[in-house]
Amino acid sequence: MATLTIGVFSSLVGSMSLDFAVKLAEAARKKGHDVNVWVSGNATMLSKKGQRSFKDYSSLNKTVESLLAEGAEFCACEACAEARGYKKDDTMENWQRHSMDWYLAKCAKSDKILHIGGE
Amino acid sequence: MAEAKELKQLFVVQRPPYKSENPKLALTHALASQTAEIYLDDGETVLPTIAFVGDGVLNALNNQKSMDHYGISSNENHVQMTLLIDLRVLVCKEDLEARGIDAGRLADGSALGADMSIEVVPFSEIQKEMEAADQLLFF
Amino acid sequence: MKLGVILTESKRTEDTFERLQADKLSVVLAGNGIYHAVIKENGNTSKVLDKAADFYVLTEDLESRGFTSADLVDAKIKQVNYDGLVDLIMDEHDKFVWL
Repeated sequence: MATLTIGVFSSLVGSMSLDFAVKLAEAARKKGHDVNVWVSGNATMLSKKGQRSFKDYSSLNKTVESLLAEGAEFCACEACAEARGYKKDDTMENWQRHSMDWYLAKCAKSDKILHIGGE
Repeated sequence: MAEAKELKQLFVVQRPPYKSENPKLALTHALASQTAEIYLDDGETVLPTIAFVGDGVLNALNNQKSMDHYGISSNENHVQMTLLIDLRVLVCKEDLEARGIDAGRLADGSALGADMSIEVVPFSEIQKEMEAADQLLFF
Repeated sequence: MKLGVILTESKRTEDTFERLQADKLSVVLAGNGIYHAVIKENGNTSKVLDKAADFYVLTEDLESRGFTSADLVDAKIKQVNYDGLVDLIMDEHDKFVWL
């Protein structure tokens, strides 16, 4: 099996790109691949703990928690998160927070990457 | 001694500056390549090249005054810093011309002491870079 | 180069797609990109489909927007789910990009 790293910038609410990224990560894990997910820009809201689920909005935290428990790595851009007021204490359990160099290094260690740079 | 392994990434920037955060993130991610080695094995490096295409070429213009008006660092400044750390910055010739922009309007890395300059190249050269890169990231 | 491209916009703002070249090119229509697979604007199919490529549409996004395989405007468009997309990315292409 191989390693897939997904990078995504889009917000949890207002874009379906994060949904796409998490569903792709989930499908890759089910096929036995290792998965890393990097969230930067508005996508850092995915790392925020205490999200409440409404049927009118995307809710991914349960899927993310399952993926984390299975060994997938999720990391938020620390500067992007801090700029939005998401502190370390606001971050979901088992998430990592690093600088962008983490993402580039994970890409370097991956067999395939998908960078979702859209809005 | 560990074998040297350089991973080549091409960052393709397609959007104009400021409304979208993406072009700035492309540049900050490229700058972060300088410290990626802390997560890599000995001898491993990541080498991004930035290519501006379509409306993305507008990020590479000089005289950006975003600090004066928006209070944020300019994409011009980030382009200059990218050149300062010796990363290649490509700007699509056809897309510049299609927008009536002369190459003299592009950011000047030497203002920050960079030895590198922006390379204005036809899209065919950027296509070759896409093929040569190990990984492609479109912003 | 074996290249996969994911298109997610119905009205595109970039023209990189038209210029991309690859020995093997696959296009996955996802999100609002699925409209290229089902809408004929003024009777014409999307120019996206003129590209020499293998075309896929993400079933989940197709069905979420009220369409089925019966609505696909061209028989060359194949449906793919996330499971199949993982294989396209991991096994069948060198690089995959999101435009």
